Amino acid sequence: MEIESTQSGVEAEQRLPRRGLLAAGIGGAAVSLLPFFSGRASATTPPATDESTTTTAPPRQPTADDTALLAAALQIELTVEGLYRQAIGGVAGWTEQQAAVMTTLRQAHLAYANSLSGLLGKSAPSTRSEELFDEWKSDFSGSTDDVLQKASDLESALVATHIDLLAKLQGLNGAALVASIQVAEARHVTALRHLAGITDEAELLVDEEAESLLGAG
Amino acid sequence: MSHESSTTPQVSASFDRRGLFRIGGLTVAAAAFMAACSDPASSAGELGRVGNGQPTPTLPEGDVNDGVMLRTSASFETSIADAFQRMVDEGLLAAPSTTFPELGDQTELVASFIEHHRKSAETFNQLALEAGAAEPFTCGNPRLDSAFIDPIFERVLEGAPATDTAKEIAPSDDPTRDMVNLVVTLELLSAATSQALVPQVTQPSFRAEAMRLAARSARHGALMSLHINPDQYVTTADLQNANPAATTTVAPTTTVQDIAAPETGDTTAPSAPPPTEIPKPVAIPSQYGSLAPITYIGGAGDENGVRLKLNFETPSLNSLTYDFTTCE
Repeated sequence: MEIESTQSGVEAEQRLPRRGLLAAGIGGAAVSLLPFFSGRASATTPPATDESTTTTAPPRQPTADDTALLAAALQIELTVEGLYRQAIGGVAGWTEQQAAVMTTLRQAHLAYANSLSGLLGKSAPSTRSEELFDEWKSDFSGSTDDVLQKASDLESALVATHIDLLAKLQGLNGAALVASIQVAEARHVTALRHLAGITDEAELLVDEEAESLLGAG
Repeated sequence: MSHESSTTPQVSASFDRRGLFRIGGLTVAAAAFMAACSDPASSAGELGRVGNGQPTPTLPEGDVNDGVMLRTSASFETSIADAFQRMVDEGLLAAPSTTFPELGDQTELVASFIEHHRKSAETFNQLALEAGAAEPFTCGNPRLDSAFIDPIFERVLEGAPATDTAKEIAPSDDPTRDMVNLVVTLELLSAATSQALVPQVTQPSFRAEAMRLAARSARHGALMSLHINPDQYVTTADLQNANPAATTTVAPTTTVQDIAAPETGDTTAPSAPPPTEIPKPVAIPSQYGSLAPITYIGGAGDENGVRLKLNFETPSLNSLTYDFTTCE
């Protein structure tokens, strides 16, 4: 009762605005900043979306199936290197330019085999395909122009083989390596045919690619 | 004593029930006022803007997926076909070349290349639709056209006007040379673009089709290189790698300036600096397909002999044709 009599005075009325307004100001500021802070907090949280990502990234390293395919490609490259080696040593009459091109391409196929071997590691085969070698051996003999023509046909078959491989390979490292080999071998065909004296553009640009060697050896 | 007893209740009275109601009311009112003043567009809790400036534009999200990559490949093929078409239409391949006097008219050959690149663009667009792209991209790549192909045509055909710091550059001394070199460059770019696509798309079928098209482009480049430079099938570096015993120890000079050479004493007539050397293309430019930048050098030299030099590169973030990129 005593308290009520002192509280209802003018003094109490005058004290409320100063302290009360101060408190109200702080409280209001706190409330008004709530959306800002809540926005900051939500920015750190991944937004919820209805669409879920369904694409599965392909593997980098060769899969088990890839390993078998790349091993076959490696054996083919070793076989081609052997065929070039046989032709360079066994065929007479190479001009300096022809010998330079044949030697460079032989070295390129050896490099491709080594690259594939590096990718495959311990599972890499170290021998060529004798079956494929025997199939092509006779084509890499005779006149130099004949050998250049047959070598270009074999290079075209390699291009087809690599396109075949690319349609099956899952691992990105293997696919990227095969692509870099294939585009170089495509140029080999045109260069070899030009060197053999062919002038027909359809043949030089290979309107019809040869058959794939995959599974042939 | 009686004064003290009356002070204590006065202090506590400022936080009584009625006072708290007032504070609460003021708080709610202040919050409502500030909320009303905020920008209604920024409903995500951002603070409102001050002043009447335009709101910050929101850039579209550039998702990179199979569809975007394949649309980009289509746009590159279209740009290449358009460049070749311009060469044919304006007769830029028919004039004799002073640099390559044996070259002959290359118009028919390049015209046959156009068809391949148009078909390649169609194929890439078809694959893009299969990959989920909303629509095909049927025009040239904006970045490739504006930053590379158009400037080359301009420099070769018109030269460059004088500026405050540089003299005028004349049109090319051999436009045919520059155009056939551009054909080789663009064919290399076409093949490299497909090769670069291989590890960037998810489906093996896309990779195989891209490389089937790349083989043709690579052969175009090889054949044109042999027309320009008939005796050069392989690079000197590749040849030396294949024949290590034949390597020479004499390194070729990398510059025309030899500061170690004795002075001749003739300083009366300074000669004009020689123009930048233009390397001749090679049919098989590298052992593997290369993804390195492809250097194009062409046009007349400036007052210091420096020709236009551009490095063509396979598509990257600034040259992709995203879903929101249109043919405008």
